Amino acid sequence: MSRSTSKDADRGALIHRETIQLVVLLCVAVAAIFATRAVAANNHNIGVRNAAEWYRRGEQFVAAGRIDEAIDALRRATVRNRENRVYMVALARALALKADYDSARALLLTVRERAPEDAQVNLDLARLAAARQDVTEALRFYHDALYAPWPGDQAEPRRAVRMELIRFLLTHREWGRAESELLAAAADLPDDAAHHGQVGELFAQAGDDRNALLHFQRALRLDPNQSEVLAGAANAAFRLGQYALAQRYLHRVPKELDGVQDIRETVELVLSRDPSAARIGARERRRRLDADLAYAQRRLADCLAQHDSVPSPVVQSTLQTELHAFERRLPASAALDQDTIESGLDLIERVEQDVIASCGPATAVDHALLLIAKAHETGSP
Amino acid sequence: MTTKKTAGQLRLREHQLFLILAIVIGILAGLSAVLFTVAIDQTSYRLFGLAPSRVRLLAIPPLISLVTGILLARLFPDVRGSGVPQTEAAYHLAGGAIPAHVPIGKFITGVLCIGSGHSMGREGPSVQIGAGLASVVGRWLGLPSRRVRELVPVGAAGALAAAFNTPVAAVLFTLEEIIGDLNATLLGSAVVASVASVIVERSILGNEPLFHVPAYRLVHPAELLAYAALGVVGGVLSLLFSKGLLGLRALFLSLPARSRILQPAIGGLVIGVVLVLSPAIMGVGYEYVDQALNGGLLLRTMAVLCLLKLGATIVSYASGNAGGIFGPSLYIGAMAGGAAGMLVRRIAPFPTADPGAYALVGMGTLFAGIIRAPMTSVFMIFEITQDYQILVPLMLANMLSFVISRRYQPVPIYHALLRQDGVHLPSAAAALGSSRTARHVMRAEMSFISPDSPVEQAWHRAVEYEAPGYLVGTPDHLLGVVTREQLERWRSSEKSSDPVGAVVDGDFVHVHPDHPLDVVLDRLSETNGLLPVVSRTNIRRIEGIVTPETILAIRNRRLDNASGARSQ
Repeated sequence: MSRSTSKDADRGALIHRETIQLVVLLCVAVAAIFATRAVAANNHNIGVRNAAEWYRRGEQFVAAGRIDEAIDALRRATVRNRENRVYMVALARALALKADYDSARALLLTVRERAPEDAQVNLDLARLAAARQDVTEALRFYHDALYAPWPGDQAEPRRAVRMELIRFLLTHREWGRAESELLAAAADLPDDAAHHGQVGELFAQAGDDRNALLHFQRALRLDPNQSEVLAGAANAAFRLGQYALAQRYLHRVPKELDGVQDIRETVELVLSRDPSAARIGARERRRRLDADLAYAQRRLADCLAQHDSVPSPVVQSTLQTELHAFERRLPASAALDQDTIESGLDLIERVEQDVIASCGPATAVDHALLLIAKAHETGSP
Repeated sequence: MTTKKTAGQLRLREHQLFLILAIVIGILAGLSAVLFTVAIDQTSYRLFGLAPSRVRLLAIPPLISLVTGILLARLFPDVRGSGVPQTEAAYHLAGGAIPAHVPIGKFITGVLCIGSGHSMGREGPSVQIGAGLASVVGRWLGLPSRRVRELVPVGAAGALAAAFNTPVAAVLFTLEEIIGDLNATLLGSAVVASVASVIVERSILGNEPLFHVPAYRLVHPAELLAYAALGVVGGVLSLLFSKGLLGLRALFLSLPARSRILQPAIGGLVIGVVLVLSPAIMGVGYEYVDQALNGGLLLRTMAVLCLLKLGATIVSYASGNAGGIFGPSLYIGAMAGGAAGMLVRRIAPFPTADPGAYALVGMGTLFAGIIRAPMTSVFMIFEITQDYQILVPLMLANMLSFVISRRYQPVPIYHALLRQDGVHLPSAAAALGSSRTARHVMRAEMSFISPDSPVEQAWHRAVEYEAPGYLVGTPDHLLGVVTREQLERWRSSEKSSDPVGAVVDGDFVHVHPDHPLDVVLDRLSETNGLLPVVSRTNIRRIEGIVTPETILAIRNRRLDNASGARSQ
């Protein structure tokens, strides 16, 4: 009995000792967890500070054009603080600057996995795709960026993205898509001159001169003295065949502005030589038609004299004969009916086309005469 | 009935205690690995700052190595190198006993060596620290030695899981490398410790993977050829690393013992020069592995870093610093793979994956070739990528690298390093415990020829006794074995007056006491009839000899016993 009691006591002591040891061990483990957590947190903070320093250096290197060093610094930043998306995006941009699009794309896609709705990341991915000439991917990411939530004001960054997308589409001759985006942009445009001018310019690039002119006009109503917008409006009006309107805008464009010198001269020629222009007298109408016919006659004669072996001498001789015949048929009086004017313009157009095709570059007058004839064909004013 | 019940209760209590201990040790080992990593980061930052000058890069490694040289020579002589071989030796040969100063010493010297720029890994030291903590805790709790031994791989698994953030690979590594048996019964405890450790590690450091790797896959079936070529390159590089490391280490070990205190500083000086050339090989270097995995490095950069890291790690390790080769093998593999991937992309007539995919496979390939843990390498990459798409090329490349490495370097690197220290680990058969071993057929009574005896005198003795061979040395310091023919040959040459100890070959065929009988017979057939049985922890300490007569004597004794039993 006493031996059994002693065994029980021994076993009890053993269990007691083991329990105490286990409790001590658990206490040590818990204390160690807290201590390690504190040390690791301190280390993490140092890592975050170092990352910020590397990021700062990286941005400085980017600004200085030292891209290799920038990439190295930004990589260090991203390794030391993997949670900061700004560092990763900065690194991707630096890689893109070095034309390492694949690495930049891989990095941005990693960031995007974590934040698929990050508008800036989607925009960067779109820009990368644009740089790689990948229209499909660029469109996808531009649209993702467009519809992603932007910090603060939503409208302005979205509008900027859409404008960038439109420019990208225009450079890739995606006229239809560009025009669709432009119409969407125009529907949500703030009523200020800069935006209307910008959209007008993009419409003009997309070949939609009518809408371009509308936005230029709106912009000029809001701010009448914008040279670039005036030039844009003049160009759009010119392409639409609205030469008088174009002339009005051109008169307001400063002389020194590039890009309108050619049309300025052409517009003046068109307006001064058009025999069917409104509000000119019968005498002036006759004078203009005579002058145009004389010019065509002279160009044709010069062309025939210039070249012994003109490509189509038979055609030109026929045209010369037609010109002479038309001049002979003209009445002596100044009054001309509309059919005669149109016949004359048609003949002039054929002569001009043939002369330009056979005898070299068109002069400003050639160009103006063709535009006058074309305006009549299409019925433009 | 009551006794049976009590025994059952105690057994249950022991199992429960062991399970709780596995969790606690997993936590402690994980914490130690986290602290080790953080301490290395801090030391490196304090010593080098953000952008170290050339003077710092050149001066810090040798100066710090002077300090670690003193610590390693005077206070912690058994913590040089990786820590994995020492842990294996402790598990297989010392009953799991690891002195308390080992984890402490490994922590301090490991932090100083790796933090001061030596090209070494943190995983091996973490394993030794974790295993050491487990052993210390087991002994403090007064567990039976069998249980203390079992705690060693549990601690190792916990530490590795936290150090590399790959719990499954950590368990496999422990089974494959430390225990040497994938069917080990300790699987459950190792898994528990590994999971506990990773939970603690992630709760402290966050749920970030060690490397950020995009999803890679096989782009074209012909790419398998490229991956096979990478496997061959990996095998050759593994051989180069293993042979180079063992060769240079043998050279350092052959230097006078008093130079040991300065050897780490010699290595530090070389590392300082390499750091000036390329700071990217500093320490563990996982940030550059990350870059290679994400295609962020150029072909030439990766090729240069691969070779520099290979050389630097050999120097750091061979000169006796404290740090591992687990991490460097991954670094070298990532650079070699990344460079191969870029080359393939340039010349291949078929579409290929990003170079990062090759860097990833390269990591596993070098690991399989150097560490020789092929299962671990596959699962490790799987855990890093969380994607099985790359597994087929990975397994192909790993297999080729493993086969090439094993063909030309039959002894795995960790075992070869132990052998250089005179420690021979048991083979798988010996570890499983064969019924008849060398211990059962050896004779403990032996006679020795003194190493100072002249050849002439030894020959006279050989003529007198007519034995098949003679042991030269003492029981605690066996120099080798000579035969009568050898003595005759030396006698007829100019060596007749030389002491036998000076001419005897130090490499001799031997067995260990736990070698099974078939190994004993194989080895005996390679000798002249005298096979020394030596200790596993010190091959110069002889425990007995095996001769054809000792084997026959055992057989006769068994026959006698059997006939006696029948007559009764």
